[in-house]
Amino acid sequence: MTQVLIVEDDPVSSRVFERTARDLGGEPTTAATYDRGLELATTGSFDLIVIDRMLPGGDGVDAIAKLRLAGSNALILVVSALGRSANKIEGLEKGADDYLAKPFDPEELRARMQSLMRRVTIQTSDNDLIAFGDLEIRRKARTVHFGIDHVPVTPKEFDLLCFFAINADATVTRMQLLENVWNLHFDPQTNVVDVHVGRLRRKLEEASGRSYIQTSRGAGYMFLPQIAVSA
Amino acid sequence: MIEMKGLRTSASLRVTVLVALLISGFSVISLSVQYLQVRSELARSQINDLQADLDAYSALYDQRRIPALRQAMEFRATARPTYDYVYLLLDKKGQVLAGNIPEWPAGLAPIGNGFQTDPIAEFEMTTPDNHTDAYIGVARDLPGGFPLLVAHSLSRQTQLLTDLRRRIFYVALGMSALSILGGWMVSRLVLGRINRINRLADKVAQGDLDARIPGPQTPDEFGALENHLHYMLDRIGALQKSTSDLSDAIAHELRTPLNRIRQRLDELDADDETVIALEAELQSTVAIFDALLDITAAEAATGSQPGLKPVCLSDICQNVFDLYEPLAEDRHLEMTCALPPDLWVLGDTNLIARLLANVLDNALKFTSSGDTVHLSLVPSGMYYNLTLSDSGPGLPKGLQDRAFERFTRGDQVDTVPGHGLGLALVKAIALRHGAKLRIVPDKKGFAVETRWPKLEQL
Repeated sequence: MTQVLIVEDDPVSSRVFERTARDLGGEPTTAATYDRGLELATTGSFDLIVIDRMLPGGDGVDAIAKLRLAGSNALILVVSALGRSANKIEGLEKGADDYLAKPFDPEELRARMQSLMRRVTIQTSDNDLIAFGDLEIRRKARTVHFGIDHVPVTPKEFDLLCFFAINADATVTRMQLLENVWNLHFDPQTNVVDVHVGRLRRKLEEASGRSYIQTSRGAGYMFLPQIAVSA
Repeated sequence: MIEMKGLRTSASLRVTVLVALLISGFSVISLSVQYLQVRSELARSQINDLQADLDAYSALYDQRRIPALRQAMEFRATARPTYDYVYLLLDKKGQVLAGNIPEWPAGLAPIGNGFQTDPIAEFEMTTPDNHTDAYIGVARDLPGGFPLLVAHSLSRQTQLLTDLRRRIFYVALGMSALSILGGWMVSRLVLGRINRINRLADKVAQGDLDARIPGPQTPDEFGALENHLHYMLDRIGALQKSTSDLSDAIAHELRTPLNRIRQRLDELDADDETVIALEAELQSTVAIFDALLDITAAEAATGSQPGLKPVCLSDICQNVFDLYEPLAEDRHLEMTCALPPDLWVLGDTNLIARLLANVLDNALKFTSSGDTVHLSLVPSGMYYNLTLSDSGPGLPKGLQDRAFERFTRGDQVDTVPGHGLGLALVKAIALRHGAKLRIVPDKKGFAVETRWPKLEQL
């Protein structure tokens, strides 16, 4: 079971983190102050740490370096009221694996925690080939095939598909796609991502006759290779 | 060319030249006054000598007339065979009676008949030893028709004045050199202190509010000025920190309760229209809040290089263009770009992408099917000109001057979503990078240009 440490002084947020961790099959432990969180993180064995920034006693981002020095390999999700793009980039540059701004959509939190927990439980393959039945993605050649048919995708659509493949069967939000595929840490407030996903979805459907990418209402998308339905 | 311009505008050079000119000018004027006094004194002395000579001849003439003069001249000619003084006495027929020159100087006519220096004549003549010299003297017709000439050579006086002029020239030259040296030392002393302050100002302008003038402050006016500057910077630093802390505190104190509201909304019926609308309002509120904080942060960091690093403007433009291009195609817009590769600037990738996303988003909002949108990046001198143009309706009249102000919106408030902060953020980000922003005039539709300083210029 994935061990999740939650360091958050706001009880409402803390409860949401706990509930989400349990929903995703994790075992949450909570701390409400910086010092207590750091003590637990360095003495316990945690796979994922969800940490706030403006905690009583210190900034969660400053704790990351101390955790790494103490030998912790836990993945770290920073969830903070310091939610501007510059704050996110600062957090990521200081070693956070992901950063979510408050107020957050619970589905967004769920998607990000799930993505990180998958990284804990699934050994990422270095293989060149990612295959889901007939759907084959070759990462070095950057090609997509369905059976023997080549599926023509643009470079960005290929990156999108790879990110979906890594997060197969999990909800992926628009912000996650913007951050991981385009390396943009702001919300452009338009449906630009939807258009790209829509195009990739159509190309996969045209090649396979199946619908691989489902819209997760209000949250984002899910890549469902095992239960892809006939289009 | 740049060095020449630098010299022309150098206060150090101007102070040096000014001090040198003042000292040299004053010296030359005083030496000139002295020279004129000496020349005047020499002229007076020459006339006095001549008068003394004439008085002696007059006394002899009073005693025994022409024979006495003749005898005296013959004696002088024998006793002093030089031509510093010339004297000549002729008879009625112009025959030489006595003197040390053989003939009357050409062109010199006797005037008057007394032994006074007035009127006096200046003339040139060649002496028997073949020297041509200038003389001052009197030519008289003595009673009975005896022409008399008594004159003194001006050569010694002329030589003396020439020597004096040469000496004055050398002294003036030396004074100029000394005054240039003095001016340079003064300017170095004064401007060296001013440059310390300028270097501090440069660092502060580049965003380093912690910069201070090194070393101890001297107990003079410059030291007092440096202390005042340090005090001002301490105050500005404290104010900036408190502003930053306040922004963080506002973010925390506002976002945390908003987050509680958001989480409680999630516990309600997710399909309820009111809940959906409230969630959208909440998201919109946070977006405005973030945009305002981003604008303020970018404006506060204007001109500051820390935090910026070399980034490829071409790649950022291409990335954002690729993000928006399918959306434009879906809306039946003709979206094109001309982006030469490998154009680098000092910047923040995320902020530049934000700027591009905002102008592209703006273009897509205000154009309609069939319109064109073009993004171009053109090297121009020390800048890269990044221009986004569209063939839409352009800015409404009266909005041109306010387009980049916060909360400025056009006539389509009801039909086009937004808060009027997009272009304000564009301006703040451009300023943050030292990029010049302008609306390109005389174009159909709307065109906005940003001029980014090339990396090699920084």
